[in-house]
Amino acid sequence: MSATDFSFEPVFAVLAVAAAVAYVRSGERPARWRVAVFATGLVLIVASLNSPLETIAAKRLLLVHLLQNALIADIAPLLVLLGLTPAMRAWVERHGGRRVRARYAVVAWVVAWYGTHIAGFYDWALRSGWALNVEHAILIAAGLLFWWPLVTGRISTAAALAYLGAAFVASSFLGLAFIFSRRPFYSFYEHAPRLWGLSPIRDQNLGGILMNSEQTLVFLLAIGWYVSRLLSEEWAEA
Amino acid sequence: MAPVVLAALAAALFLQGVARLRGRGRADVAGRDRIALFGLGLAVTVGALVGPMDRLSDSHLWAHMLQHVLIGDAAVALLVVAVRGPLLVFLLPAPVLVQVARARSFFSLLLRPRVAFALWAANLAVWHLPYLYDLALRHQAVHDAEHLCWVVAGLLVWTLLVDPGSHKRLTAGGRIALAAAMFAAGEILADVLIFSFHPLYPAYPGHTDQQIAGVVMMVEQLVTLGAVTFVLLRPRLRSARLVAA
Repeated sequence: MSATDFSFEPVFAVLAVAAAVAYVRSGERPARWRVAVFATGLVLIVASLNSPLETIAAKRLLLVHLLQNALIADIAPLLVLLGLTPAMRAWVERHGGRRVRARYAVVAWVVAWYGTHIAGFYDWALRSGWALNVEHAILIAAGLLFWWPLVTGRISTAAALAYLGAAFVASSFLGLAFIFSRRPFYSFYEHAPRLWGLSPIRDQNLGGILMNSEQTLVFLLAIGWYVSRLLSEEWAEA
Repeated sequence: MAPVVLAALAAALFLQGVARLRGRGRADVAGRDRIALFGLGLAVTVGALVGPMDRLSDSHLWAHMLQHVLIGDAAVALLVVAVRGPLLVFLLPAPVLVQVARARSFFSLLLRPRVAFALWAANLAVWHLPYLYDLALRHQAVHDAEHLCWVVAGLLVWTLLVDPGSHKRLTAGGRIALAAAMFAAGEILADVLIFSFHPLYPAYPGHTDQQIAGVVMMVEQLVTLGAVTFVLLRPRLRSARLVAA
């Protein structure tokens, strides 16, 4: 299979279409920016799992697989949730969202992040094919859980900063492990056909760099946003 | 030996300040905890600049990085926390304090948050340029100047973060913002060192050594800036919990 061939995880395309239909039929008229943000989140999920990116991720390079994971676990869920209107969020809150506690959400996200990257699970998911859907579903669900307490505004600004700081620190070790590794973690990629002249170890190191860069950017932006909100609150209190 | 002499001088100044305050019945603001913090700050500074750490820094970039973050960040933070409150004034003999007071406008300018942060960030960036880094390694005078810059830049930002004189130049949120900005700036340098595939400094040819240096910087910043952020956030976290309850 050529690296430019398309591969599909159709279940996520179907779920994205269902989410889009539910969004349109909600009876609301969301602001344009919300529609754009929601759509971008869905497109990121669908495009990264149903495109040549999927082919390269599932057959050739860990680097691209880690990019895919970062997109669907960190960025896409946040965009999808930011695209919901307050009424939509209230509906989700009434239907189970209220049960999501920040302290458990952050733990679930970290466990999912590390758990899905354990060598045994990762190799099994890549070899079986269908289990790759499970891996990606876990990452998307964990991302939605993680961002939910923040997007709903249920936790204070100070708590949000502590929440983001804890998640940033806790998650960064995985990327560092990839960067500093001197032997490949995943036997699947060790024996996969190479692309762009990247050796398995260089592929893994680059994947770690990509993962750490993406998380640093996302978390520092989120922390920056909450710091500015903290300053605004102080200004209002003064 | 210069670091030991300077540390001894600082210790003497500190102890006379403690003695004067205690003589006025203010042992509550010059207690053993302050002595321990100040002593630890000096020990960290001297330990980083003298002995095995200094020798190790000649051959390992990570040790050199540790040396810098210890003298410019961790030790300075400990020292500033130790002298907060009246001790800050009693630290210097009256004639010196008068001279300092005369230069008040200059210090006020340096302690403007944007100025202090800009100087700190510029110091961080400039001294990590490969040319200057290697120059400092070849010439002791430049190396000493480099270390002095680290300490001065650290003193500026940590004075704002800890606010030992209760000048309230920044609100709690402003201090958290400064800590976040410092972490973000430090993270850029750490990432350059960690992500680079080639050694950047000719004197330190080890690639892994360079990557570890980046991690050292990141971890040290997480500990020091994370601690100050947690202390600043704690009252708000408590009040949020009370409101929720």
